[in-house]
This record gives sequence, C-alpha cells and structure tokens, in this order.
Amino acid sequence: MIRTPQRGAWRRRVLGILLVTAVLGGLAGSPQPSAVAVGAAHYPIAGVGSSWSANALQQWIRNVWDNYKWKVTYDDSGSSAGRQQFGQQNGGKDFAVSEIPYALKDSDIVDPRPARQFAYMPIVAGGTALMYNLVIGGKKVTNLRLSGDVLAKIFTGAITRWDDAAIAADNPKLALPAVPIIPVVRSDGSGTTAQFTSWMFKEHPAVWQAYCAKLGKSNCGITSNYPMLTGSPFIARSGSNSVAAYVAQTHAQGSITYVEYSYALNARFPVAKILNSAGFYNEPTASNVAVALMGATINEDTASPDYLTQQLEGVYRNADARSYPLSSYSYMIVPTALEYGFTEDKGLTLADFTNYFLCEGQQQAEVLGYSPLPINLVQAGLNQVKKIPGGDPTGKDIAQCNNPTFSPDGSNKLAATAPQPQACDKIGLDQCATGTGGSKDTATAVSTAGGATAAAGTNAVTGSAATGANATDTAAAADASGAAAGGVDAIGGESTLAATVVAGIPVQLAANPAVTLSGIATVLASTLALVMILAPPFISRSRRLVGVRGPRRGPRGGRKRSSVPKIHLPLWRRPRSPDSPVTDGS
Amino acid sequence: MSDRTTPPDADRPANRDETRIIPVVSGSRDLLATEILELILTDSVLDQADAPDSGVAPRRLTTRASTQDRVFEWISRGAGTLVLTIMSLVGLFLLIQGNQALSVAGFDFFTTEAWDPNSGNFGIAAVLAGTILIALTAIVLAVPLAVATALYISEYAPRAIRQVLTSIVDLMAAVPSVVYGLWGMFLLEPNILGVSQWISTYFGWIPAFAVTGFDPNDPLASPTVFTASTFIAGIVVALMVAPIATSIMREAFTQAPIGEREAALALGATKWGMIRSVVLPFGRGGMIGGTMLGLGRALGETIAVYLIISPVFAVQPHILEKGSNSISALIALRYNEASPFEISALMAAGLALFVMTLFVNFGASIIIAKSRSGASSD
Amino acid sequence: MPPMPTTVLDVVSPTRVPVNPELPGPEQRRSTGGLRRHDVFALLGSVLAAVGLASWLQNQLFAFQGVLAFIIVAHALFMLFYAVLIGLTESAPVVVDKLVTTLVHSLGFVMLLALAAVVTFTFGRGWEALAHVNFFTQDMSNAGPLDPLTAGGVLHGMAGTLIMISIALAISVPLGITTAVFLSEFPGRYAAVVRTVVEAMTALPSIVAGLFIYATIILGLGIERSGFAASCAVTVMMLPIIIRSADVVLRLVPGNLKEAAFALGSSRWRTVWTVTLPTARSGLTTAVVLGTARGIGETSPVLLTAGLTTFLNLNPFSGPMVSLPLATFAFVKSPEPSMIARGFGSAAVLMLVVLVLFWLARVIGGRGPGQLTPRQNRRITENSRALNYRYLAKDVSIQRASRALSAEGKSRRSAVQRTKGKPS
Repeated sequence: MIRTPQRGAWRRRVLGILLVTAVLGGLAGSPQPSAVAVGAAHYPIAGVGSSWSANALQQWIRNVWDNYKWKVTYDDSGSSAGRQQFGQQNGGKDFAVSEIPYALKDSDIVDPRPARQFAYMPIVAGGTALMYNLVIGGKKVTNLRLSGDVLAKIFTGAITRWDDAAIAADNPKLALPAVPIIPVVRSDGSGTTAQFTSWMFKEHPAVWQAYCAKLGKSNCGITSNYPMLTGSPFIARSGSNSVAAYVAQTHAQGSITYVEYSYALNARFPVAKILNSAGFYNEPTASNVAVALMGATINEDTASPDYLTQQLEGVYRNADARSYPLSSYSYMIVPTALEYGFTEDKGLTLADFTNYFLCEGQQQAEVLGYSPLPINLVQAGLNQVKKIPGGDPTGKDIAQCNNPTFSPDGSNKLAATAPQPQACDKIGLDQCATGTGGSKDTATAVSTAGGATAAAGTNAVTGSAATGANATDTAAAADASGAAAGGVDAIGGESTLAATVVAGIPVQLAANPAVTLSGIATVLASTLALVMILAPPFISRSRRLVGVRGPRRGPRGGRKRSSVPKIHLPLWRRPRSPDSPVTDGS
Repeated sequence: MSDRTTPPDADRPANRDETRIIPVVSGSRDLLATEILELILTDSVLDQADAPDSGVAPRRLTTRASTQDRVFEWISRGAGTLVLTIMSLVGLFLLIQGNQALSVAGFDFFTTEAWDPNSGNFGIAAVLAGTILIALTAIVLAVPLAVATALYISEYAPRAIRQVLTSIVDLMAAVPSVVYGLWGMFLLEPNILGVSQWISTYFGWIPAFAVTGFDPNDPLASPTVFTASTFIAGIVVALMVAPIATSIMREAFTQAPIGEREAALALGATKWGMIRSVVLPFGRGGMIGGTMLGLGRALGETIAVYLIISPVFAVQPHILEKGSNSISALIALRYNEASPFEISALMAAGLALFVMTLFVNFGASIIIAKSRSGASSD
Repeated sequence: MPPMPTTVLDVVSPTRVPVNPELPGPEQRRSTGGLRRHDVFALLGSVLAAVGLASWLQNQLFAFQGVLAFIIVAHALFMLFYAVLIGLTESAPVVVDKLVTTLVHSLGFVMLLALAAVVTFTFGRGWEALAHVNFFTQDMSNAGPLDPLTAGGVLHGMAGTLIMISIALAISVPLGITTAVFLSEFPGRYAAVVRTVVEAMTALPSIVAGLFIYATIILGLGIERSGFAASCAVTVMMLPIIIRSADVVLRLVPGNLKEAAFALGSSRWRTVWTVTLPTARSGLTTAVVLGTARGIGETSPVLLTAGLTTFLNLNPFSGPMVSLPLATFAFVKSPEPSMIARGFGSAAVLMLVVLVLFWLARVIGGRGPGQLTPRQNRRITENSRALNYRYLAKDVSIQRASRALSAEGKSRRSAVQRTKGKPS
C-alpha cells in the first residue's frame, strides 16, 4: 500500500513509469543500482531503533521539521527492535538505528539479515562513560582513574572493594576506603551493554571468559543482556536513567555504572578516566571520542554484506594520547531499494535528513552529550546516502559539509585542535585533582599518599574532609614531594591508608550501637512499672463488675459464629406491653 | 394469603406439593432469584395447585420465552462467546508462540532457575517464584489497607467527603504504572531502606526477613543490599492494587441493607459490632472479588516492577534482600533485544503465568460461589 | 411507607404526642452520640504517651532508626495505651470498637498519604513544565532535547489518550457489561467457563496484550501501527477488569427486587433493563471507572502498537499516535532535565484528565438506587403535592363528615382507633 499526497499523484505516476523503465533497463544490463528518479516531495518517514542515539535524533528531527518541514518520526524502542522491525513487511520502518549490525559475529544471539536491501551508515559517536559515586571522608571523589584491566575486573566481580591494590595503583593520590564496590548494570537488553561487553570481549577476553565460565554459560560473546552472578553485589536497573539515578543516590556509595556521558553530566556526577594505549587516563569528552574514532577501521569491502561496519580494535588501542578507549558509534540502517513500502518521496526525505545530520547536525553533538563524527566516517556515510533511491544527489559532498571536525577543504581540523591531556593524567605517581564529568567544578583534594607515613596519611584524610578549596593547592604542591619521594610501593601505601580509614570507624560505631542488656532491662523495668500502676484498677473493676452484674462472659455462644447475623428477634419474643398502643390521649 | 380463591384442602395432593415448594422459596437463601424462578416454572405441579376446579384439566404453564427475551439471551450469550473467543485467542497466541521453547525445554522449563534461552538453559522456576512472592507481598499489604479504606469511606467518613474520597481512590487507580515505578525508585527506595534494615535486624530470625551478606554491626556494610528488593516492589504494587480492591469493596459495603444495619444498631451493637455482623458478611463476595482482582493486577504488573527490581535468576526467598524477578517484568526487560527463540521462551513464561492465574481464580470462584452476597438480603 | 396515607391521616386525625401525666416533668433529652470529655483526654493522652515513649526508645535505647519505623512503633504504642485508657471505664466491646475505629482511620490515612505522596511527587517534578501554557497547547514537533520548556508540549499525548480511551471504551463497555449480565443472568457450565477464563485474564501482563495485538492485527492483518491498534490492545486489558468488577456488583443486586419484577410478570429482559442494571448503576460506573483506570495508564501495549511520535495526530487509523503515559515513559528516559520535567508534567496532565473523566462518570452514573438529583427530587415533591391537593379536594366531604361526627363525641372515635391499633 503506497499512499501518496494528492497533489503529486499524477507526477508520481510518471515517476513510477520512469522507475519501471529504469528497473527494466537495469535488468537488461546496467549494473548501476543507484536510483534514477528523484523524489518529488518530502514524504514523512518513520524510523525505529536505538535509545542510545535517541537524544541526538530527537533534536535533529525537531530541527529539520522546524526549518524545512520534513517530517521524521522516531521510536526509540531499542536496537534489536529497530533491526527486527526494519526487516518486517507489514508495519516496516523506513530506517532503523542500531549499535550493532545484523548477524554480528561473536554475538550470543542469532540475528539474521533481513531480505530487504540495506546499507549501514554511521550516525553519531559517543563514549561509554563510567559514572561512579565514591566518598572519602565525607567528600565526593571526582578524579578517579581506572585502567582497562581493573575496569573489566570490577565488572566481572574479580575486584570487590575500593581499597583493592589494583585500584590504588591507578590512583596514587587517593586514600580509597574499604567499602564494597557495587557495580550497577542494565537489566534490560541494551545497546550500551552490547558496546561495553564488546569492549571486554575484544580487549580483556581472559577476564570476560572467566566470568562467563563462572556463570555456567556456554556461549560468551557480545551480549545485550548483562549476565549477573547470583549472590553477587551487582545491582541491575532498567534504562540509562535508572542506572544513573541509582548511582546518584546518597546511599549508593561505592557504586559504579556504565552509561552514556550525557546522563553523568546531567546527574552532576563524575566519570572515571580510562587508561588508553598511550598511557594517559582520559574522560569521554567529545574530542577525545572523536580522536579515538579516527582509529576506527571500517570494513571497506563494498561487496561484503558488512560493508562499513565498525572494527573497533583500532579505537580501543588508539595510540593517540587524547583518545578515549571505550568509544564507538551507532549506525543508521537505510534501505537501498524501493521495496517494503519505501518510495522515492520517502527516499528524498531520508537522503536529505541523513545529509543534514552528517554535516550540520554534528555541530550539536557535543551539547547533546555525544561526539561529532570524524572525517573518515562522514565521508563513508555520504557515500551511502547516494544509494538511497529518490535522494537528490546534487551538492552533497564533503566540501559542502559543515561538520565541526574538519574544514571545507577536507583537512582534519579535529586532529589539529583537539586538546592534549594534562601531564598529571599520565600513568605514574601523579594524579590530577580536577573533577570530571558532571562535577567538573569540584576538585578532589588528593593526598600525599605516595611517600607518607601513617601519621601523614591520617592528616591527609582529615584534611580532605575538613578543608575546602585550598586543599587542592596544598595537595598539588605536595604532589611534587610525593613524586620525588617515590620508591614506596603502592601496596604499602595502600595498607597504611586502609588502616587510616579503619581508624575512623569507631566514631560511627559509637553513634550506632545495638540494643544492649541495660536497654532490655530498662524496657522490662518500665513495663513492670506500667503493670503495677494499671493492674489494681483493673482488678478492682472486674471484681466490682462481678459483684454487681454477675459474670460478664455470659452465653456468647462460644467460638462458633453463625453465618447469618443474629440481629433479628423473632416476632414472638418481642416485648409486648399490657397496654394498648398509645392513642391521641386525653 | 387471605385472598386465595381455593381454600387449602388436605386431601388433595396439590396441597402437599405446594407445601413442598414454599420452603424452597423462603428457606434456601443461597439461591438466586432466577434459579428459584426456574425451579418454580419448571415444576409442573404448580399448575395443578392453581387449578381452580378439580373437574377441569390442569392448566399448563409454559416457560417459552418471549421474542424479546430470546433476543436478549442470544445477545448476552454472543457477548460472552465473543469475550471468551478473544481471551482464548490470547491464550492460544501464547501457546503457539511459546510452543517452540516449550518443546525444546520440556518439563525442565518449570524446574530450571536460569534464563539463557540462546544457549538452551532456561526455565521459569526462579521467575515464577519471584512473581508469586511480589504478588503475595503486595496482597498482604494491600488487602488490610483496602478493607480499612473501603470501610472508612462507606462507614466512618463524614457524608460530605465520601464522594471526594471515592474520586481520590479512583484517581489513584488511574495513576500510570510508570509513575508508580519512578516514585518507588526515586522517593520510596531511599526512605524505606531504614525500615528494611530494622526489620532484618530484629526479625531476621524469620526466614523470609533474613538478609544474607549484611552484618548490622559492620558500619561499612552497604545498605544497597536492601535496594531493588521484593519488598520494595511489593509496596509499590500494593499501592497500585489497593485502589482497585478498595473500589470494589466499597461498592459492596455501601450496598449492605440499611434495615439490617439499623436493626443491629438498635439492638445495641457498637459500630464495629454492626460492621462485623452486617457489613462484612454482606460484602464478603466483594472482598474476595476485589482481592482476586488485585491479585491479578499484582501478578501481571509490568512497568513498575520493571523499574524497581534487580532481576536474579535464582529463587530468592528473602524478600528484604536485593534481587527479585517477575514474569511480566522479564518479558518487558528482554523483549526488545531478544532473538526469536528467546521471544518464544518469554511467551511460554507468559503462558505459565496465565495458567497459574487460571487455577488461582478457579479456586477463588469456588469460594466466591459459596458466599453470594446480596442475593439473600431483604 | 408512601407519603399519601399519612397526608390523609393528617387531615382526618392529626397525630398527638402522648403525654404521660405520671412523669414529673418534660423528659430529659439523652445524647446518643457526640464526644465526651473523657474520649478526647484518652485520645490525646495516649498520643502523647506513645510519641514520648517511642522517641525515648529511639533516642535513648536506639531500638530502631528512621522516621517510618518511628511512626510504626508510635502507632503500636498508641493503640496499646488507648486500649488501656478506654478499658478503664468501658466494656470490652467498646474498647474493641474504639480500637477498630482508630485502625480504620489510620489505615485510611496511610492510603491517602500514599496517594498524596505520589501526586505531590508527580506535580513537584513536573511543575517546571506545567507552569508554561505552551505545554498544553503544542506538540513536541518544535521542541528537541535542547529546547527550553517554553517550547513544546503534550497536546499530542492528550489528544492520543482521549482518542484511544474513547475507542477502547466504545468497544469494551457494551461488550463487558453485556458479558457480565450474561454471567449473572444465565448461570451454568458455559458461564462458569467464561468467568474463569476472563478472571484469569486480569493477570495478563500488559506487554503480552500488546504483543498479541501486534502479532494479530499489525503483522497478521497488515494494519499499520496506529491509535486504533493501540485501542484494541487497551481493550484487551480493560475487558477482564470491567467484566470482573461488573460481575461482582451485579451479584449485589437484591434478589427480592428481581423476584418482585418477575412476580409482576416482567420478562427477563425487562427485569434486567429496568431493575438489575439501574440498581447496580453506581457499581457499574465503578466497574467502568476501574477499567478506564487500567487502560488509560498503560504504557507498553501502546508502545508496541501505536509507536512513538512527536507530532499531533488526530486520525486513529493512520500513523503513530502517542498517549500520555507513553509520553511520560519516553520523556523520562532522556538525560536532559527539561525532558524529565516534561515527562512528569505529562503524568500530571494525565491525572488531571483522569480526574475530569471520572468526575463526569460519577455525575452521569454514580448515583445509587433511590438517590435522586435535586431536580428529580423537586419533581417528585411537586407531584406529591399535586396529588395531595387532589386528595384534599376529594376528601373535603369526608372532612366535613368527620367534623360532623366529632360533634357526636370522642369516645366513639377512640374506640375505633383502639380496635385498629391491636395487632391482627
């Protein structure tokens, strides 16, 4: 059923004839599959898919409607739902958005390609942020750093406490408390989980496979449903907003979750800096992600069905000091043939829409919590737009593209201008105090843990709790001495610090005792007193009642309760007065 | 009685028959009026009793319904059949969809605690147990609340605010479940942790309230072990089902006959005495009906549970501890990123829930049929 | 007792208040209800004692922590003290009565408190969005995640909710109530099967209803995702609730009313139409209200069958359509605070819409049997007054005759009254 706007009906009929001719011509011999006809009017299109990309898509949809009146509808049900609905004949959608392509190898589920002809196109990039809630001495930690191995171990239950030696090694300036780590994962199937497990599967297969074996799973690939071990401290919540909200609660100290960067920003919570191959700890800012994605190797084999799908090993191991390892992008799946109810008019809308978001739309990516696509991905995407039937091919190339990551002449602006990480972010005994993510403005007072004695450690902890903004300066000044002192292994530092924190515990204990023997005795005594006061009047009263009215527990009929309420008095028992009823007297 | 044309005659058998009929009408109060009517109409001896003259052949009373009545019966039966068809189609849909998974898993489907359909290791033992636990917690909390609120509205509240209270309860039934879920997540959970902790500390010796892995004397123990529990999900679901149960119960209580109420009060009963002897027995059917309706909703609740629980695939009998599961939440959680086979497994889980509810309701309908409130009022 | 004979009696022989000459004076009026000083003191005293003891337990003995635990403990103590104080002067049934009264009041209060918490939470979080007029007059087509709350609104959700629930009610109310009538009027084996299956369906997870409609109507029949498909899914959810609640209230119709109708020769259909349904009217309204409540707040079936859009769509048969709960669900997923405020705002708007709908429902169908509107009351009073005048006019001769008779002497009349007053 092809619905057409009334005014373009005649014109479309002509176009239809042209199309038939074109198709016949194509069958006759021309190998060129690209559409011949250009759509006449912008017909509304509908898409479905990833909730990970929804924030950006919603903004772009609003922009194209506001400026050009192109009507795009998007349903953010999820990546798999998007892929599945795109392949359905009835109620099929005009495009889908997904984090993972069809028939992904290493995936734990079978996901067949649809019969429909389609192409992948990068749509928006972003980093998986590690949002956490950690408090030392009553003050929020905002500068946590984690290496990939530690991160993988945290999310597989191999590291269970924040004062673990491995975490302390990543954070030489933090006196980490002995609180348990609460990893918060997604309970619903999600593309974010797929991206995160993809990273673990590719980069830390040993840790991931060991976890899988513990779960008793036979097939441990990339999965959309995070597997959880029964009895583990893991918490699972549905939706990015829920995991972010859970971590942001005050009681959830020690929790950490993987979530889109924008949720951490809006929750005003810090994100962990992750160690990259160049030895720098970085957070998932727009430029860091974009730089990382410049290392994305794309399947360039146009004949392959997985043409243009991402191979992210290059991103995970990008040697640029500015890169953020956990970066990836999502795809738009666009139709390349006029089938499943797709028309040239829809093609025109879709092609123009994709052109818009690959170029101008990327300007807003950073504000929306994503990262703009770098030039290699935009170029690949623009090539795919040309395959959409009905699209207008004029004036759609890299020179007209107003993308923030490159100049119109094709030079890579991003590579030149992206800021380099601070020196203190380099792996070693130094650690930046500046905040991350949603708490950029809150610096953490780092301690001089490196070469400190137990006494110094105590001072550092109390100092971080008590002093305010100037603590950063003193700590920063102390950094040098700490680094210079050096030589002290992380384990030793960590153990003294643990002792420091434990030393603070009795204060909390004193304020929070259980019921003691004296308490029970007090309650007993007061109960006894109460009984002594109350018993005499009761006893005397019951005596009096017995004397005056006889036993009160009269014939109540025992415990038996009849089903019919006994409230009707039979007629013959009604008291009958000897007089006749009252008349009008006198 | 006095205007009967034929005086009773002991010799005639018709009189015996009549005396047989009358106790049926006045004595057995559990019969519906329609049933009594049928009894009378189909009893052919009645026309003999009414025969004015012994010489004339007895007049036969026919029970042939009028056209109007036949059309009415036809339409009602049609509606019933249509509803039955729709509902059976849903059941059939679940059966067809779930058949694939059921045939693979076989009986293990009901005993396995894991959920990993893609590697063939899946079953609903844990999920079904979680569903029942959440529903039971909800019902245990909601029924006293609902009975009390219904009694308050029908018996205690000032007449002027009854209508307002009724509207408020109705409104509460219409609050979308996503709002209840968010409320439970953002507002209830942080505030209920203390209560959970208190219960587990002092009543931990009751197996259901025990919490493993929490030492109340350890100041660094994380209270997160009390989050996302069956208890919290149960509270939220209780708040969702209580208004429905309240509405049904209130409706039943207000219908309690005024004559019996006044009689009880006139005999010196206290208000509670009157309620216990008149209102509650009368409203028993409504109470059971409301509870069962609430139980149905509690078993099938999706979004609120989906937002609150942290799903585990092992039977979790400790209701205060984190980790729970429910069939409807499982379907909602997994449906979006599921393979076709997993969808089949999810539908099989839905079918199991459906069959279980069928049995529970069947049991309840037997109870409810024995207490027909309303039919015996006068 | 119909008022007519009384009127006649008034005319013929006005009732006199009997006076017993043996009593010393006018009888003291006894107060049967009301509050005594002792009740107030007992109540206040036990509240104070309970709060005091509970705070002592909390602050000195650390027996428990937290506000909720305090309230629970204080309430238990209050019940105990109150029982003891009342028990000092009253008998056991009164103590039980008082305790039950307190319990009912406090549980009812808990229920209202919970509702207040939910409503305050929703309005509080959504207030930012609700404060703008455009929230009620625009759809979301011109507002993205980055736009301030001065742009965009949930008009599309309001329209979608109303359209969907109207279609769903148009299907489910006639079908549901007819089925409930079938269950109560034609009991038997078949009705029992229908009842059991319907009751089991009340526990149908809403997402399964959505999947069912998705598989049958959208994939099977090829109807596109639309408001109509969502209405079908919502109908599947609502039908069991309406049937079940209507079945419960139809059982409450007194059997003797129906028997009276049958005895008057009424057909089964006339009895149902003129006796059963009007008597159960307020209960049936409750059934419909409960069904609507279930249907109007559904999220997942609508998501599966109607899709998600930011545009206003008034055609239920074409194109995706959004309902308010679905809009809430979609909005709160967003990371942007303005979108979350919009989500709670749309939930609040849904509550307002529901409040208006239910108020209308109660106005139309909420009156029980015998409860009349002021207009009906007035008409009945006028009718009876007119009748009264007619009787007056007719009875003028009787009155004259009685006056003539009164001259003969009172003894005869009182004798007549005495014989009448004797129990027959």
